[in-house]
Formats: sequence, structure tokens, C-alpha cells
Amino acid sequence: MRRETLLNLVIALALLAVPLAAQALDEPFAITLATKVAILALAGVGLNIALGLGGMVSLGHAAFFGIGGYMMAVLATPVQAYEPLMTWPIELAGTKSMPLIWLGAVVAGAVGALAIGALSLRTSGVYFIMITLAFGQMLYYFAISWPAYGGEDGIAIYVRNGFPGLNTLDPLHFFALAYAVLLAALWLAHRLGGSPFGLALAGARQAPARVAALGIRPYRLKLAAFVLSGAVTALAGALYADLNRFVSPSMLSWHTSGEIMVLVILGGVGRLFGPVAGAALFILLEHFLGGISEYWQLFLGLILLGIVLFARGGLIGTLAGREVPHD
Amino acid sequence: MTDPVLEVRNLHLSFGALKATDDVSLTLCPGEIHALIGPNGAGKSTLIGLIAGNLAPDAGQVLLNGRDVTAQDVAARAQAGLARSFQVSAVAPGLSVLQNVALAVQGARGGSFRLFRRALSDRALTGAAMTQIDRVGLTARRTVPAGDLAHGERRRLELAMALAQAPRAFVLDEPMAGMGPDGAREMTTLLDELRHEAPILLVEHDMDAVFRLADRISVLVSGRIIASGTVAQIRANPEVQTAYLGEERLE
Repeated sequence: MRRETLLNLVIALALLAVPLAAQALDEPFAITLATKVAILALAGVGLNIALGLGGMVSLGHAAFFGIGGYMMAVLATPVQAYEPLMTWPIELAGTKSMPLIWLGAVVAGAVGALAIGALSLRTSGVYFIMITLAFGQMLYYFAISWPAYGGEDGIAIYVRNGFPGLNTLDPLHFFALAYAVLLAALWLAHRLGGSPFGLALAGARQAPARVAALGIRPYRLKLAAFVLSGAVTALAGALYADLNRFVSPSMLSWHTSGEIMVLVILGGVGRLFGPVAGAALFILLEHFLGGISEYWQLFLGLILLGIVLFARGGLIGTLAGREVPHD
Repeated sequence: MTDPVLEVRNLHLSFGALKATDDVSLTLCPGEIHALIGPNGAGKSTLIGLIAGNLAPDAGQVLLNGRDVTAQDVAARAQAGLARSFQVSAVAPGLSVLQNVALAVQGARGGSFRLFRRALSDRALTGAAMTQIDRVGLTARRTVPAGDLAHGERRRLELAMALAQAPRAFVLDEPMAGMGPDGAREMTTLLDELRHEAPILLVEHDMDAVFRLADRISVLVSGRIIASGTVAQIRANPEVQTAYLGEERLE
């Protein structure tokens, strides 16, 4: 077995073991932390499809994270207010069912990413970073001035949405859901990486002129990857909103985009389990350093600086060595 | 005479006051190697850019199999059967030799939007790729990342990728640049075989190779073709000797 595969397995099992141990020790807060790791990792897996596979440095992925979160609010608030979702042109009820909310989030995230990506991908380099940032901020200010969902204050969903056969209010059950979705997304990312699509995308990232000369247009490949990326991150947003039972514009702010990117870089850009390792490290730092000092992000910054300067492959790269072309 | 596979008609391109391409016309016929030579800065790379579609001409046409492709982009011309290699190797450094060539096969055949199949367990894809890898002699290096290849190996990978496109015409930009004498000799033999698959427009500085391989030679100086003809004609042309071959002898 390859060293990285082994490392990935260890990380996956460790993330599963923490909440089980916490349950045995009766420490529900640790389960919530592990759930947060799984959900942020999912957002990172989404970003990594754009950033790692496609080489698209998007500083606007909070847009998709927030779209997922707000989709949850849009679908679930009518139910808690005993109102229909819409009455025209057809009467449609809201839903408290997670599978339906996830579907809504994925579709909304994909549509959002298609619109933002179609325009942003006409630029490259620093302009791409800036334009994705600008789109993210546009949605952020839109949410702030959208009174129906609490504007700047956001909106609370009092009861966590349901999943058939599970009690989602039980932290362990909810963790299991988030973990299963994360594994599914990792499987998707893995398949993408080894597919003809992933091969063309890697070529477009590493040698764009050559790929065009081979008869493959990089624009459409990148757009497709950006859409998939946005959809996965939106799904993470819906889960994150359910974890907190609260949605606010901060999910859309560029700080959130930055956090998702930071955790991908911490773990390893383009590495399958990079976002998982990164999210775990991020949450651990936030929890323990945050307990020591209010200024924990200063230390996060120093660690990030160290990784960017000395360990370009992030945590995974440091532990598993450089990436080998998989065959 | 058979119809040319690639034809360039009265191409013009200026960058400001500089006429980089000045009324260039040339043809590439089936089975031939047409060499394009000229001193540095003569506009060879500009002409290749115009043919491949990286640059748009101010005036003139590029025809591929008799069809005007002047308005088409790089990818469309590649799909129409134009394979080019790059002067400075442009291979994906993080992908293996096999993956790079498989990518070229995929470009020619389509299917880059298959999201869930495993690319390298596709027999048709890897089979076609391995055929070309064997031909250029990189079989033992197939799993090595292209970025780790030695210079000469990377030039051969360039060629394997162009071959894998199963093109109608090759445009090869200095395929022997930076190769040792042995490598250049092997490459010459390989190119000599290649002409039977598709004609080659060969830009090359290695005069021994050019004189050995070329059926016709065109000499480009300051954006203009000053002479065009067989090897013997070009060697005997006094204008060419002063403009170009003279310099070579002084070296």
C-alpha cells in the first residue's frame, strides 16, 4: 500500500474514533468538534476540486458555503413558521428533511458556481482571485440586507432537520451523517482525480498551452470542475447550518473563504485527504490555542507561514512525501 | 501534384512597426518534410504561432486539408489534425510519461468529460499511448513524472504526444534543440519514418539533420521567405549563403 493511502486511512479512522471515544467518556462537546471537522473538511474537499485539481485559486468559496446554508434556512423556516414556501406559481411547502435540503443546496451551489465561474474563468491569476472575492462579497452584502432571513443578525432554526431513520439531535447520529457525506465526497474527488476528466484538468493546470494544442479547451473543463467544487462546498454549508442550527451572513464573508483555503493549504493542496487533515488541525488549534490566548490566529498565521515556506505539500505532503502520479 | 495538407497564403503580421511575418506563403504536401530555416529573430516562431492558431494574422489565410482555418482557435486546429511540438518542452511536469501521452490520445479522440471512469484502466487509451511511447524509446520511463525526465527524453516525449494525436500534419519546432549528437541521430531516423504518417513542417537549427531530411527548404529572413527549393538549390543559392549559411560557417 502506498504511504499516502495508509496515512489517509489512519486519518479517516482517527476522525471516526474521536467521537466514539467521546461518547464512551460522555464528552458530547468533543463529538460536536469532530462533526465540525468533518463539515469543514467537506467544504475543503469542495474547494480542493477547484484549487488542487483545477489550479483555480478561488477566494470566493464562502459564496457556495453560504448558499448551502441559506438554502437550508429558505427550506426549513417556512416549516417552523407554519407557512408554505411559496404559493405562486405552484403551492410548495418547505421541508425539514435533510436529503431534500441537501439536494436543494447542491443544486443551488452548482447554479451559483456556474454563474460565477462562467464569468470569473474569463480571467486568470490575481484577477481570478479578485473577481471570485468580489462575487462572494456581493452575496455577503445581499444577505445582510435581506430582511426575510434576519439580515445582519441571521436566523435560527430551532430544531435540527431530520434524516429518515436517525435522531439528528443525537450528536453521534449527526456526526455519522456528516462523516458519511464526507466519505462520499472524498470518493467523488478520488474518482475525479483518476478519470479522463481529471487527467485533462491536471494537464490544463500544468501545461495549458499544450492542452489546447492537443485539441482540449481548458475553459469548459475548468468550469465543470468549478461547478462540482461549488456544489460540494454548498452541501457542506447546509450541514454547517444544521450543526449550528443558525445561519448568518458571516457564512458568506470572505473570512470564511479564507478559512476554507487556509485549511486546504494546512493539509495539502491537491492531496485527497489534505482538507481533512487541515480541518482537524484548524479546529484543534482553534480549540486549544483559542483557550490559551484570544489572539490564537496570530499563531495560526505563523504556522501557515511555516507551511507555505517550508512544507509546500502541507501536512499530508510532509508526512507522505511528494505526490506521485497515480496509475 | 497532390493537394497540400497544410497551406499558408500571404500571411502578414506586424507588431507595431516590426513586420514579423511579411507576405509568407508555403505549402506542405503529403509524404514530405518541408524544413523552415532562418537566423534567430527571423520570425520562425511567429509563423508557427500563426499556423497553430496562437496568433491571428493581420491578413492572409491558413488552410488545413483545403479548409480555411484562419478563424479557428488552437484546439479546433488540433482537432482538425494539426499536431505541434514546442521549442521549449511544454509537457505536464506532474503527470507521468504515460499520462501525458494518454492525454494527447484523449485530445484526439474526445472523452475528456468522462468523470468517473479510470483513465489509465482504459485499454484503448493506454494501448494507443504505449504504442507511441515504445516508438520514441521511453518504454522503461513510462511511470516517471515528465518533470523528472532528462532534456533529451522530454524532447522525445514531446514527439510521442504529437504522434499520439494521429495528426494530418506535424509542425515541429526544433525537435533536436539541446540534444547530443547521438540523440539528434536517433531523432533524425525517427523523423524520417514519420513523414509517411503525416508530412512535417520542420523548424530546425541542426543543418546536418535538415539537409539529410528535407525534401524542400524554405529560408525565412526578417519575416520574408527569401528562397524556397530543394536542398541542392538552397545550398547553391547565393542570397541564402550570405543571409544565413555564411553565418553558420563562421561559427
